Amino acid sequence: MTTASLRAPSKRPTPSAARQPQDGYAGKLLRVDLAKKKCWAEPWSPDAMRELVGGVGLGAMILYRETATKGGKGNVSWDHPDNRLVMATGPMAGLPAWGSSGLTVVTIGAGTNGPTSTQANGFFGTNLKYSGYDAIIIQGHAPDWVYLYINDDVVELRDARDLLGKDTWATQDTLSAKLGLSGHMLSVYSIGPAGENLARFAAIQGDYGHVASKNGCGAVMGKKKLKAVAIVRGTKALRASDPRGLMQAADDIGFDLRTDPSAKSLYEYGTLPGVVNLSRLGALPIKNYTTNVSSVDMSQWEAPKLREGFDHRGHQCSACGMHHCHMSVIRQGERKGTIVDEPEYEGWSGAGWAIGAMSDIEGVAWLNTELDKACLDVNEFGWICGWVMECQEKGYITEEQLGFRLKWGDIKGAARLIQMISHRQGFGNLLAEGVKRAAEKLGSPAKDCAIYTERGAAPRGHDHRARWDEMLDTCTAATGTLESGVPVHPTEVGQPARINTFDGEAVAKFIAGIRGRRNFEDSLGMCIFTTRTRLENLCRALNAATGWDVTVPETVRFGRRTSAILRAVSLRCGHTPDLERPSTRYGSTPIDGPAKGQAVGAQWEKMVDTWYREVGYDRKSGKPLPATLKELGLDWLTKDLWGKRA
Amino acid sequence: MLATATNVLRIHPEKCTGCLRCELACSYMQTGTFHPAKSVIRVSPFEGHTSYAPYTCTQCAEGWCMTACPVGAITINAAGAKDVLDDTCVGCKLCTIACPYGTMFYDPDTRKAFKCNLCGGAPACAEACPTAAITYEGTATEDWLGEFARVRSARVLAGVR
Repeated sequence: MTTASLRAPSKRPTPSAARQPQDGYAGKLLRVDLAKKKCWAEPWSPDAMRELVGGVGLGAMILYRETATKGGKGNVSWDHPDNRLVMATGPMAGLPAWGSSGLTVVTIGAGTNGPTSTQANGFFGTNLKYSGYDAIIIQGHAPDWVYLYINDDVVELRDARDLLGKDTWATQDTLSAKLGLSGHMLSVYSIGPAGENLARFAAIQGDYGHVASKNGCGAVMGKKKLKAVAIVRGTKALRASDPRGLMQAADDIGFDLRTDPSAKSLYEYGTLPGVVNLSRLGALPIKNYTTNVSSVDMSQWEAPKLREGFDHRGHQCSACGMHHCHMSVIRQGERKGTIVDEPEYEGWSGAGWAIGAMSDIEGVAWLNTELDKACLDVNEFGWICGWVMECQEKGYITEEQLGFRLKWGDIKGAARLIQMISHRQGFGNLLAEGVKRAAEKLGSPAKDCAIYTERGAAPRGHDHRARWDEMLDTCTAATGTLESGVPVHPTEVGQPARINTFDGEAVAKFIAGIRGRRNFEDSLGMCIFTTRTRLENLCRALNAATGWDVTVPETVRFGRRTSAILRAVSLRCGHTPDLERPSTRYGSTPIDGPAKGQAVGAQWEKMVDTWYREVGYDRKSGKPLPATLKELGLDWLTKDLWGKRA
Repeated sequence: MLATATNVLRIHPEKCTGCLRCELACSYMQTGTFHPAKSVIRVSPFEGHTSYAPYTCTQCAEGWCMTACPVGAITINAAGAKDVLDDTCVGCKLCTIACPYGTMFYDPDTRKAFKCNLCGGAPACAEACPTAAITYEGTATEDWLGEFARVRSARVLAGVR
């Protein structure tokens, strides 16, 4: 990618250039203007593919090019018709590497009113690419509720009024029945009531249990009055440059996932082991960060026990060999026979531990799916529900305010809260604004119990007071969620294999050092769990698919370039460095458990200073420094950010 | 076990997770591209979206496709599979009507019939399946899906999702 010339953002790919077929790609972007009720295919050139790859790389550039206001000084807000909702795949989608049906949603999100990059899987990427498109770019607001129907070259905006009010699973059931398609012949990503009613942490849910959850992308879809995107499995072909090499690389990645110690437990149990493992670090969030000591026998939360507690049915993503996604059937109790999506770690934490539900495992699994159906982000729900529970206990939110008494671990009460938030009923109307806005509205002392970033995002489902790397990443990322992500083979990019996780400076250097990889992964159209191999293997697979000669350093450079573009968008959105800090509770010191007394607040400023220095951004303005941009090949961005004098 | 002319594709439906990787591998062997619409192994969903099972030509002893073909374009290859000779097939589709299993296909692009030929003795679907739901082994052919389908159908009829 270093050799590809980087164009100024005003230049569009030319149709003539796009006539050259690029292996690994479908070759077209699907544009949808909801206001004008128009859909059209836009070719993109091999040069643009190499420059932007796909996923967040493509989406970031589209946001940068197409959402600016005030001559490039400002940005449209999340609810503006000119906001773009980019649903992108990547070059690996539809090909035989494991988990290769990745969807990356990029938009100006309702949570932070800034850029978003959030991922899901299932069969979206496969169905879309076999229909002939690498991404869908949606603009405008529909006058009436519609859904987008894609069946190869037949692309239509269809009346969705009969789908209104339906949850995401019922929406998919209805569309499957209506279109006469079952299984993976139809991929549906939709919003439930929470998205329709513009809850600020509404997600986009698809294919029964896959969720692009962050930053209120579901509210963006709701604002556009787009109920669903339904893609019939396409009938077109995808070509790989070196198909045998691709199969070999895919098998090597599969071997790594099966056998490498850093991936093996993911291969066997998905993210289930996280519950017990994180509890040992003090990173399992218990009762809204009020404790880090479990009051229950943790052996029932061991991954094999969690899995064996349910009957299972296959529910893998495209071409995936991981023992990760499952449909679970509840065996006992009042919900016996109910099918739920096996919760990810974050489901167990957000719908369980964070709200004090530590014993009713079937109830947590059920609640997690209820959140998916309503299309609420399970993480932010955990923080908001746990916050309400704590505030009720302490008398900061009264029973009259909420309308009922919500105690720790009350699954039915939490389900009632989901409905109140999704339909903006009563106190739910305030809670639908997200944890930060709700907390600020109530003010202290309730506010001091709430977990959020000042940018307006909610963290992932960990207790980051024992994972400073993720807290720093969450606060500094332009997207409001992890940008550097979890380290995977950090020595491959020149970072130490492990660091003292309570040494702020070391943490900041490490997070800055591994930065880049995640954006690259999120541009491929793969899942971050199946890219948990060496970058060298990913490059080999990508090069076999596309015929390129991408190297490991280039992947990191590409990812950092994408970060810089997202950062430029977030600056246009008014996100200044003073917002890059945790709320009072989020940045507090654990009072018990394995991380007791570890005070992130005491080292916070030093951590952020170090991070800025390491990534080459200006601490005061938040802008990437001209030298950084030059090194990344983003000279055009230097002019935009710093003016001619740079 | 060594591949012999008696090897068959054995389907273990309870192991299938519905990832459809077999279709990608199959279509690559059939067409040189990744093109699941032209895969000759198809993964069928049961119970809406929660159970899956692959199915393909059983290489049945009766060979209805061979019997029906008016130009003798279907022969038995070295792996014991019924195979379509492209240069002989006239694209009349009689074989697709004759096949009682729905595993004989017609390609409107090439105007020829196509079907599983066991990849000449090294089936790509079995190689690609990450859960060993498809194996290639020397065993008596059985109705691999019958019991599976009966149980799933009964659940659907009983109103269990």
